[in-house]
Amino acid sequence: MRLPIAAGVATGAVALTLYPLFQAGAWFWASLGAILVVTSVGMLATRYTLPNWLAPLAQLFAFWIYLTAVFTGDEAWARVVPTKESLVGLLRLVAAGFADIQRFAVPVPDNAGIVLLTCGGVGLIAIMVDFCSARLRRSALAGLPLLSLFVVPASFLGDPLSWPTVVIGALGFLGLLVADGQERVSHWGRAVLVRRTPSFIAPRPAADTGTLRLSGKRVGVTAVALAILLPSLLPTLEPDPLFGFGVGDGNGRGGNSISIPNPIVNLRGELSLPGNSTVLTYTTSDNLPRYLRLYSLDNFDGEQWTMPETKGRPDDLISDAPLPPPPGQGQSVPTSQVSLEVTVSEEVRNMNFLPLPYPASRVRIEGDWRPDRDTLMVFSTRDTAEGLTYQVVSNEPRPTAENLKTAGAIPQAIQQRYLTLPDNLPREILDKAGEVTEAGATPYEKAVKLQEFFTTTGGFSYTLATQGHDGPALSDFVLRSRAGYCEQFAAAMAVLARAVDIPSRVAIGYTGGTSVSGRWNVRTHDSHAWPELYFEGAGWLRFEPTPSGPAGQGTATRPPYTFPEVTTGGDDEPTAQPSAGPTGSDTPTGAANNRRNPLLDQEFGGTPITVDEGMPTAAKIGIGAVVVVLLLLVPAMLRWEQRARRRRVYSRPAVVVGSAGEGPGGGPGVVAVRSNRGEAGVAAAWAELDDALCDYGMSRQPSESPRALARRLSEQYEFSPEAAASMAKLAEAVERMLFARTPGETGSLREDVRRVRRALAATVSRGRRIRAVLLPPSTLLRARALGTRMLDGFDRLENIRIGRPARRNA
Amino acid sequence: MAVTHDVPPRLDDLVATAHRIREAIESVIEGKSDVVRLTLTVLLAEGHLLIEDVPGVGKTMLAKALARSIDCPVRRVQFTPDLLPSDITGVSAYNQQTREFEFKPGPVFANIVVGDEINRASPKTQSALLECMEEHQVTVDGVTYQLDAPFMVIATQNPIEMEGTYPLPEAQRDRFTARIAMGYPEPAAELEMLDVHGSASPIDKLEPVATTAEVKALIEAVRAIYVSQSIKRYAIDLVTATRHSPDLRLGASPRSTLQLVRAARAHAALAGRDYVIPDDLQALSLPVLAHRLLPSVEAQGQRRLPEQVITDLVRRVPVPEAQAR
Repeated sequence: MRLPIAAGVATGAVALTLYPLFQAGAWFWASLGAILVVTSVGMLATRYTLPNWLAPLAQLFAFWIYLTAVFTGDEAWARVVPTKESLVGLLRLVAAGFADIQRFAVPVPDNAGIVLLTCGGVGLIAIMVDFCSARLRRSALAGLPLLSLFVVPASFLGDPLSWPTVVIGALGFLGLLVADGQERVSHWGRAVLVRRTPSFIAPRPAADTGTLRLSGKRVGVTAVALAILLPSLLPTLEPDPLFGFGVGDGNGRGGNSISIPNPIVNLRGELSLPGNSTVLTYTTSDNLPRYLRLYSLDNFDGEQWTMPETKGRPDDLISDAPLPPPPGQGQSVPTSQVSLEVTVSEEVRNMNFLPLPYPASRVRIEGDWRPDRDTLMVFSTRDTAEGLTYQVVSNEPRPTAENLKTAGAIPQAIQQRYLTLPDNLPREILDKAGEVTEAGATPYEKAVKLQEFFTTTGGFSYTLATQGHDGPALSDFVLRSRAGYCEQFAAAMAVLARAVDIPSRVAIGYTGGTSVSGRWNVRTHDSHAWPELYFEGAGWLRFEPTPSGPAGQGTATRPPYTFPEVTTGGDDEPTAQPSAGPTGSDTPTGAANNRRNPLLDQEFGGTPITVDEGMPTAAKIGIGAVVVVLLLLVPAMLRWEQRARRRRVYSRPAVVVGSAGEGPGGGPGVVAVRSNRGEAGVAAAWAELDDALCDYGMSRQPSESPRALARRLSEQYEFSPEAAASMAKLAEAVERMLFARTPGETGSLREDVRRVRRALAATVSRGRRIRAVLLPPSTLLRARALGTRMLDGFDRLENIRIGRPARRNA
Repeated sequence: MAVTHDVPPRLDDLVATAHRIREAIESVIEGKSDVVRLTLTVLLAEGHLLIEDVPGVGKTMLAKALARSIDCPVRRVQFTPDLLPSDITGVSAYNQQTREFEFKPGPVFANIVVGDEINRASPKTQSALLECMEEHQVTVDGVTYQLDAPFMVIATQNPIEMEGTYPLPEAQRDRFTARIAMGYPEPAAELEMLDVHGSASPIDKLEPVATTAEVKALIEAVRAIYVSQSIKRYAIDLVTATRHSPDLRLGASPRSTLQLVRAARAHAALAGRDYVIPDDLQALSLPVLAHRLLPSVEAQGQRRLPEQVITDLVRRVPVPEAQAR
């Protein structure tokens, strides 16, 4: 009877993990009912010992009636008995459910179809679990259907499952195993009696399974704890470390339509991930890094920047045609053509926007990828980019400062879309924008001033600790805290640019990454946001307000046209970027001025970027070995420290305060004060001797008195007379300390301890001596004792019983 | 914490006197220094000794030698089945001259009483002696007579002889502080015995080496020997272990704890120490405890004697440890 209940509870516990997949709770009650029906029938089957094959059939039948009653009661006879119509209704609902599941992203609404599917799945799994555990008596096997249920949320949710749900699910399964074990074990120890034992003589003793149960629980709890703790200690095991698309925008919106990610939210998560895995690698035709953009956000609602509705036309498939022309790019501004070959890592999940340099003119890639006409974002609703390799050709504008200063009037459409600011934007921000750009005459000069404001003059600092990007957070960032990461910098600069009538938007993607043996390597920590500003003739141009370098976004670089004096002055100024200027591609890298590798020198201020070449394997192994050795040496160090501490204590001559001494000189009534220092010294010396014995593998009986120990050691190991005398002196000192009225004077015991130690060491092999130093058993034993105490505490917890009467095994 | 420093009077004297007595006894009993030492220990612990062994190994000789080496009154009682309690304690006799009842003190009025073959006397007589041992006094016809200190009974009994004997019941064995077996002498010691005892008994030549007053002082000194709390706890642990041992039907009594600690004091004093150590208790646990215990049926079946059980327990019970880290 116990097993069907445990099976139902386990199924219910695991079904709880489905919660985040749904918007409401109707599915839960329906599934709970299904589990109850299955469990009740299972209990009846156990009670009346139905054949094993019949029980699941009975459960299926009951379950069918249940589904009919709940979902198609109107078409059933007397709301319960299935009819042809009700069956058709159920099938129709199932089909609708499948269609809905295809259509909706999680969390899904609980339509009747979806609820039916869920409830049906949970019910079938309940039947399977019941069959495995209660019929076949293979409870461990029941873990498989449970696992398949558990996999559903784990695979659909981008976020890691919250640990309480995992614990609940695991405990449910453990409960099933425990019930099975109890059922099994309770049959132990029942002899087949030939003669009837009168029941009044003595209650038949049940098999003593206490220890067995205890160790079982220990194993179970340890396994669950490890399963929870280990992944949190190993960051690489965290599910989906790269992209959290789909859900996780936390605002509950976007559920009922094709999910639109909130890239901003993902950014900080990726930047602060402990692991820094490679997202993609690429090569460029000029061997220079490029920012790769994923999304363009152009709508600022006063709180955050959001993405426009993307429109991909069927005839725009990029496998067939070049991308649409970049908006605003005219003939007056020179361009240079670069080609890239990008390979996206296999580990990336759900990347349905392509990382591309802006503006891409041609992308060669497999699959159904379409560009958004206005923003040139390339996305797919069917394919994802993981593991793909694609070629991109980009016609980069290479504007000079002059080009930008003399940029033409901005078209109306652009103005309307990219200059909109919410009405409730704080006045101070607008004032600040005006104040910062006061010195700039043209929009371009104002833009440069803005960038300077963020990077140099404004006193901003880079930190990932900042939270939020809503209105108050924006003004707080610009006006007060001035600390944030790329998201705040990009968003703030875009807002300030709009405030001074420069069309702007925020791009999300990756910085150029680092060069590893000829390939540019982009990692999760290179996730980035930057503002793009519009200049007629040049189109959308990237600006970089975020500080770069070790104290900022590591690989962020400022484009050349944002330094007017540099680009106008020539292309090989010391602070010039290698990609700077219209002729940047032919920068004399081998120039006579002995500059550092230009690739490493892209950053403003000239601080070289440390290129993470990846550690050679040998070094990794070496470091690992050193760490292991250091860990192994921990006991030795602890022992060494303890020995030194004790030596300090027992080296001090004991001062016996006021002791009248022994023997004839002392008369009665003389007050003696026990010397604590002397006692501490003796105790330390004795403890040291004790540990030395343990280290050298010499046994010591707990019933052996100090004197007996001294005698035995001296005889057994044939101590020299001096060593034997020292040993006897130590024994007498500890004896006096423990048992005598006055401990007496002992003097320094340092020499005695040393002598005895030597004498002991001389009797053991060299290997033993080395082990005593490197892996001292006394310290290990102490650690084990500590562990035992912890286990004892665990046992005490274990033995707390909450008022349950003892079960009789009658 | 200040404690009164109570140096026992003349510990060195004690050791010296005890040494003299030991030498004197050992001049008569060859090769039995352990037995002699234990005898002295019991004397100094104000206890009584039960010597159990086969005839002819020198039980009576030991008792007599001890008595002779101390200059004190010694009485010897040969226990026989017809011995009456009044033969031990004494009797009130009517003095026709004074026309009054006069108390004639029995052999128990001595410092050392040797009860030979105590198991041959009737239980009534045995218990009369045991009462004197416990109370150190004799009551006859409603008048109580105190016995002199020191008062020590050395009883011998022969375990082999079964016919016509009344083995001491457990309750009465419990009154004896220690039980020892003499054991056969080593061949060398036996040879020496032949040489020495061949002509004349050396006990005749034995001169007293200590006075009663000296022995009293020794006993006083032993009472002052320091017993730390941890040692007391250790003694209790040892005794408690006998009560919980599955091999024993009857464990040691609280009286035995008292006597064990008392004997340990004497043992320490004889070693010239003014404090008791676990080794004293360990050395004494066998003679002090073994005769009080009854083995369980299972232990009897396995032929495990109480002596073995005690040896095991002593090996198991942990001694007080220094608390240091």
